Amino acid sequence: MALDAIVIGAGQNGLAAAARLAAAGRKVAVLERRGAVGGLAGAVEIHPGYRVPGILHDEGRVSPRAAGRLGLERHGLAWRDAPPVFLAEAEGPGILLPGEIGGRSRRDASAWLRYRAFLDKLRPLLDAVMGSPPPPLSPASAGDLWELARSGARLWRHGRRDTLELLRVAPMCVADYLDELFETPLLVAGLAAPAVIGTWAGPWSAGTNTNLLLAEAVPGRRLAGGPAALVAALERAARAAGAEIRTGAEVLRLHVENGRAAGVSLASGERLDAATVIATCDPKRAFLELIAAGTLPIRIEEEYRRIRARGTAAKVHLALSGPLELAARPGQAFEHIRIGGGHVDDLERAFDAVKYREASPNPHLEIRVPSVADPGLAPAGHHVVSILASYAPHDVAGGWTEKRRADFLASVLATLERHAPDVRSRIVAQELLTPADLEASYALTGGQLHHGEPALDQLLVMRPAPSAARYATSVPGLYLGGSGSHGGGGVTCTPGLLAAAAALAR
Amino acid sequence: MNAHAGESPRAPAPARGPYDAVVVGAGHNGLVCAAYLAKAGRRVLVVERRRQVGGATTTEEIHPGFKFSCCSYVVSLLRPWIIRDLDLPRYGYEVLPLEETFTPFEDGSFLLRDSDPERTKRAIARFSPRDAEVYKQFGQKMAELGRLVKPMIDGLAPDPLARNPFEILRLAKFARHVRGQGEEWLIGNVKMMTMSAVDFLSEWFECEQLIAPMSVSGIIGTFLGVRSPGTAYVLLHHYMGEIDGSYRAWGLPKGGTGAIAEAIAGAARALGVEIRLGAPVERLLMKHGRAAGVVLENGDEIAAKVVVSGVDPHRTFLRLVGEEHLEPEFAQQVKRFKMRGSSGKVNLALDALPEFACLPGAGPQLRGDITIAPSIEYLERAYDDAKYGAFSRRPFMDIVIPSLTDPTVAPPGKHTMSIFVQYAPYKLKEGAADWPRQREAFGDAVIDTLAQYMPNLPGRILHRQVLTPWDLEQVYGLTEGNIFHGELSLEQLAFQRPVPGWSRYRTPIGHLWMCASGTHPGGGIMGAPGALCARTMLHVRAV
Repeated sequence: MALDAIVIGAGQNGLAAAARLAAAGRKVAVLERRGAVGGLAGAVEIHPGYRVPGILHDEGRVSPRAAGRLGLERHGLAWRDAPPVFLAEAEGPGILLPGEIGGRSRRDASAWLRYRAFLDKLRPLLDAVMGSPPPPLSPASAGDLWELARSGARLWRHGRRDTLELLRVAPMCVADYLDELFETPLLVAGLAAPAVIGTWAGPWSAGTNTNLLLAEAVPGRRLAGGPAALVAALERAARAAGAEIRTGAEVLRLHVENGRAAGVSLASGERLDAATVIATCDPKRAFLELIAAGTLPIRIEEEYRRIRARGTAAKVHLALSGPLELAARPGQAFEHIRIGGGHVDDLERAFDAVKYREASPNPHLEIRVPSVADPGLAPAGHHVVSILASYAPHDVAGGWTEKRRADFLASVLATLERHAPDVRSRIVAQELLTPADLEASYALTGGQLHHGEPALDQLLVMRPAPSAARYATSVPGLYLGGSGSHGGGGVTCTPGLLAAAAALAR
Repeated sequence: MNAHAGESPRAPAPARGPYDAVVVGAGHNGLVCAAYLAKAGRRVLVVERRRQVGGATTTEEIHPGFKFSCCSYVVSLLRPWIIRDLDLPRYGYEVLPLEETFTPFEDGSFLLRDSDPERTKRAIARFSPRDAEVYKQFGQKMAELGRLVKPMIDGLAPDPLARNPFEILRLAKFARHVRGQGEEWLIGNVKMMTMSAVDFLSEWFECEQLIAPMSVSGIIGTFLGVRSPGTAYVLLHHYMGEIDGSYRAWGLPKGGTGAIAEAIAGAARALGVEIRLGAPVERLLMKHGRAAGVVLENGDEIAAKVVVSGVDPHRTFLRLVGEEHLEPEFAQQVKRFKMRGSSGKVNLALDALPEFACLPGAGPQLRGDITIAPSIEYLERAYDDAKYGAFSRRPFMDIVIPSLTDPTVAPPGKHTMSIFVQYAPYKLKEGAADWPRQREAFGDAVIDTLAQYMPNLPGRILHRQVLTPWDLEQVYGLTEGNIFHGELSLEQLAFQRPVPGWSRYRTPIGHLWMCASGTHPGGGIMGAPGALCARTMLHVRAV
């Protein structure tokens, strides 16, 4: 039977798109080049018996609304509260957020309340903006005008004062914004980190505060089982609705015929036809690799060539024979730890290296110990540690040679060891995935975890490219629904869902 | 002196009774504002702390026979309508075009761009034939994009959150203007406002020898690097002069930038404005929570119906008004307004012209704008030094030798060299007050770096003036040495300059207005803030 739609990639977005299309009665095939579904959000076995629940280890941006639309709770999705974040410091006890802020500074404790109150007020607005297609640039129909008016009304409802404050702080650099609020350097540094991880920017780069707001003004609920649990629920939902999921099926060519999407060819030589194709791989891969060069007008190719997708974060996985114990907090097991130099300038220095195509000698570590909440990920008493290490540029000068890889891993472990002196003796297995490795294993252009750098000019109507901002691309029948589209960047599954909705609306 | 007074629409007001307006600071904006108010028949007094007009728009003889534009040194954006309204050429305003831009590189090569498109194309083609082709197209594209900015800088900042019908009408008109330009244009502008100069230029060009020197126009006066988002916007300013058609993008005022201030002052005086020099203002005279005049440092009280501040927002509110007269929230917002100075000036009196090692002789390479910006990495490393509280060991420099174009500023055969230097952060890691100790080391870094390109420069220096951000604050009253009265970052522009919701020159203090670079549309010798302030005041009958 002929297919109605093909979805390229069975990551969180591909599965969400397939589930949505299948639920609407479309006959859908999802094609995944790897042997397993999940992409960057899928579980990874780092050593026999040790698993981490995803390369991207933060699922705090999954919106309950999106999950609800797909009925994921019926397929086993369960929520839990976010674990507290521990900000480690070289000399001192560190700060466990948010409870211990007051112990450091009364002023910061009250600033924290104001900060969270601001984020709480912002949440419904950002949830609505990130959960729906970006407003149309040139309204072409009454429907478009209505949407534009709705976007305007949202801001209006948000209130003039709060909107002014949002417009003021959004284009700022995260360091300036947090410096306005807090006086404790460790707090400023620790809170700034989520705004820059995975970006080609440091905390002093303008616009990074938008990333902070997008990362923090989220529902913030976590999933039992982490990102991998989302993938599992999405897979069940897609299969239950009748979608066909094929792993080990690598798409090599996306066919454009008579100016329309026509189907795909696989590495096996098999060709599949469908009038609708939703590509959830990164946009550069879809337009510059899967579509044959010269098929599209140069102007369109140029748009995709201009997307900046330079990976800057490496992944380090550790299998430990015991817990990750911090010298500053003996006997306490944290699930979420940040290790930086203690000052926002240290994070900026780590970024400086990227500008000169070097790996940071003192990387910032964003650490999860998922086995604290989920002991089943490792043998009894053992643990797994998942680290996003910044910065490690994809285009490091001279390439990621064995020596450079060993040096970077050594600097990550040395940083970790300063805070957890016993860690080295507990390592059962270790693994470093540089952006170059991520590119090779996950077909991720530039090893860019978000399929396109989060930056002011690559957000909203500019994401992934102006001609594809609302998921439909300049090629009729072809939709972009990966993290590189609006609503994406991290684990959200929103772009896949919205791309499917856009396809269904045609 | 009052030969032209009869031409003003109304005769000057009688010399008795209180002034209609007292303007604090005789910088170019203060003078423009005063002139427009006087032109409408108001009685205006300008009080100035220094013994000459101009503020940072100044020409000073710092070495006998050598006259320097000590601070601002080129002019590009002085609004043509202001020049016409105030009839400035009549009072000595004359701009000599700067045609060339010369960039030497570390490997001994160089790039010379000038007003001849064919010659420039050939020069660029030596580095990249592809870029040589695109270069002209790029200029046209930028001029098109400038169509958004032009109405913005010639009018009030649109307020996107307006709720009154007039404002919404203005906004709708602006939206129609934007819509009329087409989607591609709109996208171009969004990119312009949000991208870094290097990223934006990299969409067009491939060779660093072109991208690096072009990108620096995006960072002048900011505390940002060429790779920092938000710097692409300032590139546009380079292309707006050409749209007006009346003058080139950049020019040297004859007699130095001080001559511009003198011309505006001349026009203002002719319109009846009184200018009192050497009259530092101690504070505002407040009555019932409203401004009622100023108190000078010598104790003199000058009453006026309104006070217009031509100094920067920090100085205006935190010193002249005083925090005790401000709502705590507003005071907080003023303090948040970022004014980090990032640049300094080195002015040299030269015995003879220096020569470039890569291109000896006194040709066009010395006549125009000389940019020391050999690579993107060089610029980023210069920025990195400043981020952590030190001046750039090898800074970005923008150099002109005004005496080549305007021989009146130096004795015959001798020359003046103006070197704009970035980065020099106001807040050194040892503290801003350490600048006097580091001043000469900073000057040495500048000369040493330059000597790599001009080996015979050090031997030709007769006199050296080094102005650090600390000096700019001490001498010219620029808070933190910020040359634009506040950083030109996205969140400090348009309706947010200087404080969100207070971009229309009005302040929360009754009868106090603001007219300088800290207000929309911002810094540079533009004159627009002063003129728009006066226009708004007259429109709402504030005076």
